[in-house]
Amino acid sequence: MTHDRILDRLWLTLMLLTLGSAWLAESAETGLLVTLAIALVVSFKGLMIVDHFMELRHANVVLRRLMRIYFYVIPSLIVLVYLFPRQIANLTSLS
Amino acid sequence: MEASLRESVDGGVGVPRGLSLPRRIPGNLAIWVGILSEMSEFALMFIVYFIAKVHNPELFANGPGRLNTLAGTVNTLLLLTSSYFVAKAMVAIRRDQGRLCVRWLLGAVAAGSLYLVVKMFEYRWNAAQGIHADTNLFFTVYYYTTFNHLLHVAWGSIAVLWVAARVHLGIYTAQQHEGLEAVASYWHMIDLAWIVIFPLLYVLR
Repeated sequence: MTHDRILDRLWLTLMLLTLGSAWLAESAETGLLVTLAIALVVSFKGLMIVDHFMELRHANVVLRRLMRIYFYVIPSLIVLVYLFPRQIANLTSLS
Repeated sequence: MEASLRESVDGGVGVPRGLSLPRRIPGNLAIWVGILSEMSEFALMFIVYFIAKVHNPELFANGPGRLNTLAGTVNTLLLLTSSYFVAKAMVAIRRDQGRLCVRWLLGAVAAGSLYLVVKMFEYRWNAAQGIHADTNLFFTVYYYTTFNHLLHVAWGSIAVLWVAARVHLGIYTAQQHEGLEAVASYWHMIDLAWIVIFPLLYVLR
């Protein structure tokens, strides 16, 4: 598939995922599955933009890794904060 | 013929020929120092959000429901679309289609400007609902993060307008468009930050 065609399809996919997230925001209680779904969507969107819009897929390896790590770490934090709020609160308390 | 032409432009693997180099830096190194600094700044805001959330679970569970989800969603669609327009502009300049490139860039600026209009509407709507930066900690985090991001969209739009003018003047060509590529990368970074902000503030309860 050409780069041009990938961009078109990716844009459409990102639009649909955003509408899906908005639907979740309006209709669903945040349970573990919803949290996981949201984290996965954030990760997917970020990785796709880094690789295709930013064109890092076949570019500098270090830059690509740094940018991609971001979209593994932040979604993981979303899930961890949902699963272990008290433990994280204890870890981040000053007293 | 058409297939071989496309391959010569696109490299046949989804990326433009000549871009598939493991050490290639889109734009220039300076812009990537800026991009990584900005990403770190936003990461710090996200960490503040996570810490504030675990210490104030009720505020952060109720806050998103009081925000205007439609405004947040429209702005997400606008920023993703503007990023797509900028990516299409890069394809156009490499094909030496300067006028088409300018049109895509102006489309991106229009989407960025609409984002700012929607954000202003959203802030006014919040105020009408009695939501202010000091209403509670959730809204403090919301205003600090979104206003900071709004500033990035504002100056990013000006930068895109600047490179559009340079394409129009023929300063950037298929062979030389480093500055355009640098601004494009920066603009995508602004989009990436919003991709995290939207679910944190509008979706997650």
